[in-house]
This record gives sequence, C-alpha cells and structure tokens, in this order.
Amino acid sequence: MDGLGGYVLRRLLFLPVTLLIVSFATFYITRWGPGDPVRVAAGAGFSDPEALERVRHKYGLDKPIIEQYGVWVRDVTLHGDFGPSYRYRDRTIGEVLGPKIWVSFRLGLYAFILTFLIGIPVGMFAAVKQGTWLDPFAIGSFLFFQSIPVLVTVPMMVLIFAAKLHWLPAGGFDGMFSKSMVIPTLTLTMPGVAGIARLARATMLGTLGEDFVRTARAKGLNEFTVIVHHVARNSLLPVMTTVVGLSLVGLIEGAFFTETLLGIPGVGKFIFDSVNGRDYNVILAVVLMLTAAFVIANLLVDIALVVIDPRIRGNRTGAA
Amino acid sequence: MSNKLTLGILGVVAAGIIALAVVLIVVVAGGGGDKKSATTGSDTPTASGTKTSGSGTTTKAASGELRLRGDDPLFLDPAVAQDAGSALYIVEIFSGLERLDKDLKIQPDVAESYDVSPDGKTYTFHLNKKATYQDGRPVSADDVKYSWERALNPDTGSVTAENFLGDIVGAKDVSRGRATTISGLKIIDDTTIAVTLDAPKPYFLYKLTYPTAFLVDKRQIESNPKRWTQKPNGTGPYKLKEWKLGERIVLEAYANSHRGPPKLNTVRYNLSGGSSLVAYEDGDIDVTGVGLDDLDRIQDPNDKLHAEYTTTPRQSIDYIGFNTNVPPFDDPKVRQAFAMAVDRKKIAEVVLKGAIPVANGILAPGVPGATADDKTKPYDPEAAKKLLAESKYAGKLPPITLAESGAGATVGPTEEAIIQFWKDNLGVEVKIQQAESATFFSDIDQGRYQMFHLGWIMDYPDPEDVLDVLFYSKSKQNNSRYSNPVVDQKLEAARIERDTEKRLALYRDVEKTLIDDAAWIPMFFDTTHALIKPYVKNFTFAPTIVERFHDVEVNR
Amino acid sequence: MSITDYAMREAAPDVTYVRGESLTRRSLRRLLRRKLAVICLVVITVFYSVGILAPFIAPYTYTHQNLDLSFDGPSLHHPFGTDRNGRDMLSRTIFAARTTTIVTLATFATGFVLLPVTLGMIAGYRRGFADALINRTGEILASLPGLPMLVLVNATLRPRFEHLVARAEDIIHYHQLSSSGFADYFLIFGVLSLFGWVGGARLVRTQVLTLRGSEFILAAEASGASTRRILFQHILPNIMPLVIVGASSSLGAIALSEIGLTFLGVGIQPPHPSFGALITDGSARSVLENHPELLIVPATVVASLIFAFNLLGDALNDVFTSRAQ
Repeated sequence: MDGLGGYVLRRLLFLPVTLLIVSFATFYITRWGPGDPVRVAAGAGFSDPEALERVRHKYGLDKPIIEQYGVWVRDVTLHGDFGPSYRYRDRTIGEVLGPKIWVSFRLGLYAFILTFLIGIPVGMFAAVKQGTWLDPFAIGSFLFFQSIPVLVTVPMMVLIFAAKLHWLPAGGFDGMFSKSMVIPTLTLTMPGVAGIARLARATMLGTLGEDFVRTARAKGLNEFTVIVHHVARNSLLPVMTTVVGLSLVGLIEGAFFTETLLGIPGVGKFIFDSVNGRDYNVILAVVLMLTAAFVIANLLVDIALVVIDPRIRGNRTGAA
Repeated sequence: MSNKLTLGILGVVAAGIIALAVVLIVVVAGGGGDKKSATTGSDTPTASGTKTSGSGTTTKAASGELRLRGDDPLFLDPAVAQDAGSALYIVEIFSGLERLDKDLKIQPDVAESYDVSPDGKTYTFHLNKKATYQDGRPVSADDVKYSWERALNPDTGSVTAENFLGDIVGAKDVSRGRATTISGLKIIDDTTIAVTLDAPKPYFLYKLTYPTAFLVDKRQIESNPKRWTQKPNGTGPYKLKEWKLGERIVLEAYANSHRGPPKLNTVRYNLSGGSSLVAYEDGDIDVTGVGLDDLDRIQDPNDKLHAEYTTTPRQSIDYIGFNTNVPPFDDPKVRQAFAMAVDRKKIAEVVLKGAIPVANGILAPGVPGATADDKTKPYDPEAAKKLLAESKYAGKLPPITLAESGAGATVGPTEEAIIQFWKDNLGVEVKIQQAESATFFSDIDQGRYQMFHLGWIMDYPDPEDVLDVLFYSKSKQNNSRYSNPVVDQKLEAARIERDTEKRLALYRDVEKTLIDDAAWIPMFFDTTHALIKPYVKNFTFAPTIVERFHDVEVNR
Repeated sequence: MSITDYAMREAAPDVTYVRGESLTRRSLRRLLRRKLAVICLVVITVFYSVGILAPFIAPYTYTHQNLDLSFDGPSLHHPFGTDRNGRDMLSRTIFAARTTTIVTLATFATGFVLLPVTLGMIAGYRRGFADALINRTGEILASLPGLPMLVLVNATLRPRFEHLVARAEDIIHYHQLSSSGFADYFLIFGVLSLFGWVGGARLVRTQVLTLRGSEFILAAEASGASTRRILFQHILPNIMPLVIVGASSSLGAIALSEIGLTFLGVGIQPPHPSFGALITDGSARSVLENHPELLIVPATVVASLIFAFNLLGDALNDVFTSRAQ
C-alpha cells in the first residue's frame, strides 16, 4: 500500500498546481476575448463609453489582466471569495451556483443509477451469450441509442408526450418525484448504457475465464448460481468504480443540452448564459469546480481499483 | 451465425427507425386539423424571436392569483438594471414620480401633480401625501433627492443614470464624481421638490418614467447595502414576496399603495419549464406569448384557442444598419441600392409568416410623429441595379459582411433570405457573420462591421429616443457613424422646441432624410402575440415595459 | 451527446499491444469477414463519397432559395421537401454531409492521429523534461470540463480568429477564404483536437516505452540506426494500427460534437449547412409537426453514420484486442 499512498499524495499535491494553471488560463481566455460583462449588460441601448468605463472602474475591470488575476488569487486564497457575479450583482457565486448545481445533481442522479442498472445486466447478458447473435444484438441496440443526438430525441418526445398526449409536462423541474423527470432521465440515460454494457461485458468475459469459475462449474453448481454469485460479484465493482468518474462528467455535459431544450434551471444552461454574458467569476468558479471534481473522482477510482482489483489483492477471489 | 448477427443488428436499426417514424406520424397525423403546431415565447415574447421556455408546475389555481411564465431577473436595483428581464419586475415593485399607462400616456404616480415654469426649465413636483414605501414609511422629497443622487453616484455603477437624469442641472457633476449632490434639485418642503433642467426639454417627464429615476429606500440600502435588492422596499403596487432563483417569483399586493389596493392578491411567475404554450393548454399558466411557429394554428378561427388570442403592437424596430464611414457604404447610392433590392414584404409574409408588420418608416406606430403612409424605399430591383452601377463602387465592390447578434443555430432564416435577395438582384455575395452578444457589441462600438442587423426598442414614446440617440453625429450610440449637418441642426432644434407640432414636424423631416439617404434599411416593426385566459380581466400587453398588473382581475 | 463521450476516453485502455504487420493484416481480414462491419464500412464510404462529391451531386446549391416554395413538402423536384426559405432539403443534407466529412476527417487526422502520435512518440522516446511537460499538459487538459471549455474557447477565439482570417485575406488578395466557411471548420476541428489528443498520446507513449525495450529496437540501436530512423521505420508502423483503431471509435463522438456546438451557436455558421443547423431548424415544434421530414431526413442520415462508426469501432476493438484472440 506504500506505493498507492505515495501515488495518491503525488496526485493530491499536483491538484493545486492544476487548479492554478487552469484558473490562470480560464481567467486570461475569458478576459482576452472581445466584450466584457459591463458592455454586454448594456446591450443595444446604452453604450455611452464613458459611463461604461466608470462602471468598469468600479469593478476593477479596467486594470491589466495580470493585476486582476493577482487580486482574484489573493481573495480566493485569503478570504475564500471567488469575486462578485457580474450578472447577479447582489449574490455571491455560491448563492447563484448552489441551487443550479443542486437541480442538475438531482436530475442526473436517476440517470446515473439507471445507466448502471441497465448497462450492467445488458453487459452480463451479452457476455453470457457470447458467440450467439444475442451478444452483438444487446450491445448494438444500445449503441443505436448512443447514435441519435439528444437534439433529435428531446423535441420528438416533447411533441409526442407533452404537446400531443399531454401525459408529461413540456419541461421544467418540479422536484425528483414529478413527471417532469421522465424525459430528461430517459434522454440522459440511454446514450450512456452502451459504454457501460461494453465494459461490463469485457470484465465479465475476463472473469468467466478465471480458474475459480471453472472450479465452481466443475462442482456442478447450476449456471445461474455461477453467474450471479461468482462472476457478477467479481466483475461488477471494477466496472462501477471505473465508470463512476467518467459518468459524472459525462452527465454534466449531457445535461447541458437536455436542460437547455427543456428549460430546466440547472447548471448546464447556466454555464452557457454565463459565457455569453461574460460573467467572468462564475465561469471561473464552474470550470475550477468541475476540474477539481473530475480529478478527485479519477483519484478515487484509481484507489478503488487498487483496493478492489482481485489481481492486486491476491487470492481473495477464490473464496467467493 | 455471422448472417444472424448482421440480421439481428439490422433488425434493431430498422425497428428503431420505423418505430420512431411511426409514432411520430401517428401522433402528428392522428391529431387532426385542430391540433397543429406550437412552440412558444415567454410572458412577453416577440414574434421575431421564438423563445423556448415553459412550465411544468401545476400550482393550485385560486381567484386573485395570476400565474405567468417568466425568466429570472438579474438584479432588482432600478438604478442599475438595464435588461428588460429585470425591468418587468422592477416596474411592479418600484415606482417613480410619473408613470406611463398602457397607452403610453403620462400619469401621476408618486407625484400627484407638477407645475412647469414659463421658461420650461423648472418642474415643481407635489408628492402624493398618501404615497408610502411598502414598509409603511411615507415618501418625502428627501427620498426623491436621495434616489436620484444615488443613481448618479459612480459607486452605484449605473450606466443609464446619466442618460435619464443627465438633463438636470448638476447631475453630470455627480455622475462624474465631481459632486455628491445635484445642484438643480431644490427641496421646498417635505412633499415638494423643484427640478431645474439645463434646457427646456419636453421629453423630460418621459425620462422620469424609466426605472433609473424610480424611488428607492435610503434606510434599507444603508442598512443592507449589498443585498437589499433581494427583498426590496419600493413604492410600487406589488411587493416581492418570494424569489427562488430559477424556480419562481411571487409578487404580493401592497394594499396601501397610493394608487389604491391592487385587485390581484398575488402574481406567481414560474421561472422554469419548456414550451409555455403546452403549459397554457394544460392550465398551468394564465397568459402566454405565442411564438412564430404557433401563429398558424392560433390564427385559425376554428382553433379552440383562437378566442383567447390577442395582439399588441410594440414600439420597436428591426433594421439593417450601415457603417456609413467604411466602403462601400460610405456611398449613399450603394446603401440605397441595397435597400431597394430587398423585398421586405415577401420576407415578412413567407419567412416570418406575416407575424409582424413591415416597417413603413423609422418611427413605430404610436410614437408621436409617426405617420401611417409608407416612407420607405420601394422594392425595385431594376432601380437598385442602376443605383449600384452609378455608385463609385460599381464593378469593384469590396467583400461585404452582414453582422448579426445571436447565438444558436436558429437565428438565420431572415438574414439568409435578405442576402439571397442581394445576390439575386445585385449579384453581390454577402457573407453573414453571427456573433454572440459580447462580441457583437464590442465590435459594433469599434465600428468593425460594415453592415449589421439589429433592433431598437423605444425606452419612452418620443422620437428623440431613436432619432437623436442613434443619428445625431456626436451621439455616443451612433452605431452607423451617420453624420449630416442638416440632420444635426434639426435634431438640436427639436430638443428644445416647445411647440409640439413644430417639434414633431422637425422629427418627421429627419426621418425622411434618413430614409432617403438610406442610413438604415428599416425592416420590421414588432408585435406581441399572446393568449390570455378568459377569466383574466384587464390584462394587456403595453407597447413597452410599464406597470400593468394593478388593474388586472382573475376570477376563476 | 456528451462531447467527452465514453468512447473517446475508453478507446485507449481497451486496445492492447499488437506486434507486427502480419497481425494487423490478419485482424483486418477478420474484420472484413464480419458482414456487419462491412455494411458499416459501406455506409461510411457512401456518406463520405457524398460529402466529397457534394457540389457535383447536389441538385441545387445550399443557398438557392425560392420564397414561393416555403415548406413545400416532398415532391419530384424536391424529394425531401424544402425549408422555411424554400431551399432544397436534399441539397442541404448533401452539403451538410460535406461539412461533417470535413470536420470529422480533419479532427481525426489532427487531433486523433497526428498530435497523439507526435507527442506520444516524443514523450515516450525522449523521456525527461519533454515527457513530463506533455504528460502534465495532457493531465490538465483531460481534467478540464470539455463542453464548457469548448464553448468558452470558441466564444473568445472565434472573433480573434475571424479578424485574423480577414486580414490574411487582404494580404493574399483572396477573398473566398472566409466565405468558404474555412474559419468555422478550422475552429471546430482545432478546438476538438486540442482536447482530443490526450488519450491517444498516452497510448502511444506506453507503446513506445514497451517497444524501446524490445529486441528488435535494441538490435536496430546496436546496428547504429538514427533516432529518427528508429522512430519512423520501426516504432511508427507498429503503433499506427493501434492509434487508428483507438481513434476510429471517436469518430461518432466527433460528428455528434459538431451538432452540439452548432446548436449552441459556436459551431458552423449560417448559411453553411450542417447537421447541427438542419436538426435545430427541423426540431422547432411546428416544423416537426407539419413537416417531420425536415427533421427525420437529416437525423436519420447523421444517426446512420454515427451508428456505423460506433458499430465499426466496437468490431475493430473486438478484432484487435488480445481478449478476442
């Protein structure tokens, strides 16, 4: 475990460096592009350059980018203050982002669970049926769902189930236990299933060839018991942990389109609005948050893999 | 076996595609004639821009509650807010000395009456003694002075203050940080305040109806300078009861309003959701805008929603602007040629489905000075070709780009139709450049665009708000860099002309010159298309953003 | 729909080390024996041929409009009907295929082959500082949230880049550059490549590290072959098949990315047709209800391509991985 400890430590030590580099790059890119929050807010109406300049001065936006970055880093490290939102001027970044993230999180949770609930059995099924037409059929049918853009499925589902049949609302978010969850959950779940099923299938196939499985079969246990008790148990955890990190980020990005199309007040659409409104500090906070989340998720996956992987843990598997 | 695999997969594909197509066709075709198409706008949509927003919440429907679809305002500080999204709420929660009614006539608000001095430079306002803030504190002349001085103070960060209050003597000293009090304001007694202007400006009262000049509560701001806007204490007929970001806003009647108690108890905005038309049909909201895509269906007299359909013209204009400083549009003949080569009527009919009227000038109907006759250049491809041939760029046009503000793939059809007319009639290939708003405004300020497609929404119904602001050569918002001494001279004269008829005549002259000179191609005016439930009374869409819920009744 | 599709990140670990030309050829032969894979290849070939030959097969140009034929349903002249501006949907779909062809091929070549191979070989062969630099950069890029960064970079870079293109046009006196949509294509594949090379480069680096210790490389070094010779003659042929297999499973995701970016307004700009634009236009409710062909046609075409890519990627993976052997 010493090697693992060292590895984790090294990764953790590198995280602040990553965040510093990412924050500087994002800081620079956002401010380097044309336009600024003050001018965007003014719109087509009031573009008196002198008045705009006075407001820029008030927010320190007229200083050189490097100096602004220095101030930002100081405020973040010393006071934990990520700066004001230039669009929602009476709220802190946390107050603006918090509710949006909470909505997106709840939205993604079902999809996250469902992806695994469907993906793993499908993958197991395909592995067991290896060599028959059912194997590629199972994976292939979910690859099909992965191939249709969300931009096609959401409008079609809204038209059919909301506008025509009036079974479901046309969008919005009314909490986790409402009908408004159906369309986003489906559209967020289906594209991800194939990936997990494929991984589950590969792991299953690997496990099926192991000695202990052959032993179990030789003992005369029926096939179902072998699959469920011996094979599944040993192949599922690695799959889950490996994909958890990837799925989290995948979901956030998938939610981007679903939220926009369905008018759901989550973080996905909000990022886009913030970029268009040049809400510098909000963009920066979102990017840093997602970066840190992704690095940590990957790290946890790495740790989990080492802890769980039978080959690393020795002979535990035989006892299962 | 390999054959079986292939067949299996192909089966899935075929089944999937067929299933989707069949479901779609069955549902769509099965719906029959009365169920046609729809996409939607929010509470105050425009026909030229379809917005997707909608509902899902089934709120309990009580009499006295109006349920609407809305968007989050950014910031409810009347002095600072510039976006229409915030202004919609601000006009209900706050108020100023004067207000505009639904027909855009000036009505007394916090000020009961006013006197104007003979030279037209001094306005003396008498405040309504019943006027109170929503916490019950009476409004005094000090509050007016504080609110305006605060709006102008550079620390407040208002971009609009100088524009709307800058006519008061000494106001610019405050906004430039040279003074903290406006020298042109004189408090006569607790409820009387005199305002001196730098010139007799007839449109001054209009400017006071804009949120920048609204009253805010000094005590509240000083006790909670950063967050008072989350629970503002205004003088308007509705209080902000609840605001949950991205979810809902609830406004509650302020019973002691100096305008009398509002007839509604609450106004509930749902801030999330998809198609608002579906939400309207499902009975979740009481009013909805109708987007371009749904007009066909709603305008059909046989549709069950047709009876609830209403339209209101809006005081805004959609135009193609030229940068008159750069080639080839520094030559008026090129501009005229481009103007005459576009069949705006056809575009309005086909691409915009007749949802909005073709502009007959620069001043929208309802703006003083606007006339009903068509002042614009007619569609005449032959004349256009001739003009282009006579121009100094004949045969050697530089490459031309039409810039457009917008993000997303749906913004194009109008522009694409326009450039096709130029290609067909003038043989000129124009490129479209779509820029998201930050880039667009930054570039337009720097005069980077040769030609741009843009809209202008009137802030108050006076021709000064478009002609002087956008075409006076020294105006900072003169995007087209238009400069014409004759126009300048007339604009200057109109600013201080106190005879309304003479003043409007000056503006009409200016409008004609601008069109003849093709400083713009006026494209379309705008119209609000909406559905209002029959149990909602007195709900109207005003041509611009004004207080409109005070008299609304809901008797379910 | 996510830009960092599973396929993109998954590609690297799934493909393991393969030695020698003969195995590649054997794998290919095995691939061609699978009927499904062949069908996928045919679909992809047809799509790309249409894309490349677009100007010659399309009955109309993509801008040709006839306002008198707005939303004219399928007919002999317009088999897939016309859009709001009366433009032929068949032609627009064909030209959209061209856009997808350009974007996928350019991204594939740059971000999934050229960059990963170059950087991976440098990192693996040079080691030391170059290795550390490439690795750290890759690590940071890989941990960035892909889609928000794509939107951000596109929003800030596009205008700068367009000004640059305009200036370049003035200098070379060739003014078709921007109207050909060059800037859009370049930005999309540039940005996708910027974030796409990491997985492939890691794979290449690992392979190079493994190969370095192998006998035939040691033999080549002993016989005095130059570094360049070893890299290009001995190592490159050995890793190329892996890189291509890994990258091919990302092609579907690249095609999807174009659709997403265009929907968000940071992709292909009008009037250039792309599947992103066609799908966005076609999914407006009234259009979908009254003229479903305007959504179904482009959606089916592009979904078939992506499906073919996904199935082919799956098959390639199967054929090339050690597990399947």
